[in-house]
Amino acid sequence: MRDFDLLQPKTLTAALDALAPNDPATRPLAGGTDMIVDIRSGRAAPTALVSLQEVAELRGIKRENGTLQIGAATTLAEFLTHPDLAHQALYQAAYNFANPMVRNLATIAGNINSASPAGDMLPPLLVLDAQIELVSKSGTRLVALDQFLLGPRKTVRRADEVIASIRIPALRPQSPVSTGFYKLGLRQADAISIISVAVRLERDGDTIRDVRIALGAVAPRPIRATGAEAVLRGQPFSENALKESARIAAQECAPIDDLRASANYRRRMIQVYVRRMLEQTWNKTL
Amino acid sequence: MNPKLISLTINGSTHQVALSPNTTLLHALRDLGHTDVKSGCEKGDCGACGVLIDGVVVNSCLLLAWLAENKELVTVAGLGTPDKPHPLHKAFVDLGAAQCGYCIPGMILSAKALLDQHPQPTDEQIRESLSGNLCRCTGYVRIFEAVRVAAQELGSTLPE
Repeated sequence: MRDFDLLQPKTLTAALDALAPNDPATRPLAGGTDMIVDIRSGRAAPTALVSLQEVAELRGIKRENGTLQIGAATTLAEFLTHPDLAHQALYQAAYNFANPMVRNLATIAGNINSASPAGDMLPPLLVLDAQIELVSKSGTRLVALDQFLLGPRKTVRRADEVIASIRIPALRPQSPVSTGFYKLGLRQADAISIISVAVRLERDGDTIRDVRIALGAVAPRPIRATGAEAVLRGQPFSENALKESARIAAQECAPIDDLRASANYRRRMIQVYVRRMLEQTWNKTL
Repeated sequence: MNPKLISLTINGSTHQVALSPNTTLLHALRDLGHTDVKSGCEKGDCGACGVLIDGVVVNSCLLLAWLAENKELVTVAGLGTPDKPHPLHKAFVDLGAAQCGYCIPGMILSAKALLDQHPQPTDEQIRESLSGNLCRCTGYVRIFEAVRVAAQELGSTLPE
């Protein structure tokens, strides 16, 4: 593996000091499950890594005024055991994430920062309106995940910033809400998505009060299917409405042919799984 | 970059070893003679390099050795000896779960991590726990059975 320096700050202040020169070749290191592979393959060529593994401020999950604050260093394994992370979509995405060994190392901030078009945790976080807390020596900013992601492996994060936490806003009180996630892979574990779908659905009697749909692995970055959402929002539930929404979702995405699947297959599967996830989340609010 | 003297605690013994920052735990362990830790894909897909770090099973190919300092590392050889094998060792031998054997150290450590958390695992939990360990010989049936047998054996020796 190519040569690099490794810094091991014990505090967030020390980590931000190390990144302060804003040098793109000095990279923060979280779980390393992408970074080490990327360095070995030559895709990443940092001159220095700043390990965040010993920075206590990036750990832990708490609720403040209803907002869930997930520490950047929270591992994917923790998503399967922490009682406060009981959003079904997040749980399901974590359960389908890589494999148990990788989940013990990989962090939520690492998955977000990698900004893969197929990043498993991104569609659920998009439908949950997640915000990314970025900190640097010059201050803190909150960026909606939808604005944070720019394209394949491109985000708005500057080289002197680290992701400190992920914020998920509180649910509206008394709303029957359900979330769901489905990952279509070539196998159950150790797979990269062919497509993925996340849905958050809020119900009011027989009406879909609000719905968010996010699609993975069918565009340069995970996307919201806003047209598919719009035809359902405020409408009475019906099988035909779900079918129409799924049809629009398949039009809104921009998949490519690659070794996992053809663009055509991906579009067809978006249509199938958007409809199924809408049906499933609706039924769960009953 | 310059090597640093790192203290690694492996199967109960502590070693001082000079390592460069880009050395993965996998290669640090193998260079120290712990060749029961296998090098497979070096991408986190195959699980052959599995080790327990403070009881948690991880891919040693994805962790820089410096970051494993002052943690308890356990390899498959640390679970027992030929005279006093761990019930997982014994079950894998008794059931003929190994063919070429390359994946077995990682398999056993994944199973160990599972049984520490869930002494009476469901079939689904066993399959899930082994889902990051690839075997290209066996078809997994005997490996799965060996974990089930070891769980029963460990369960029967638990204090009342």
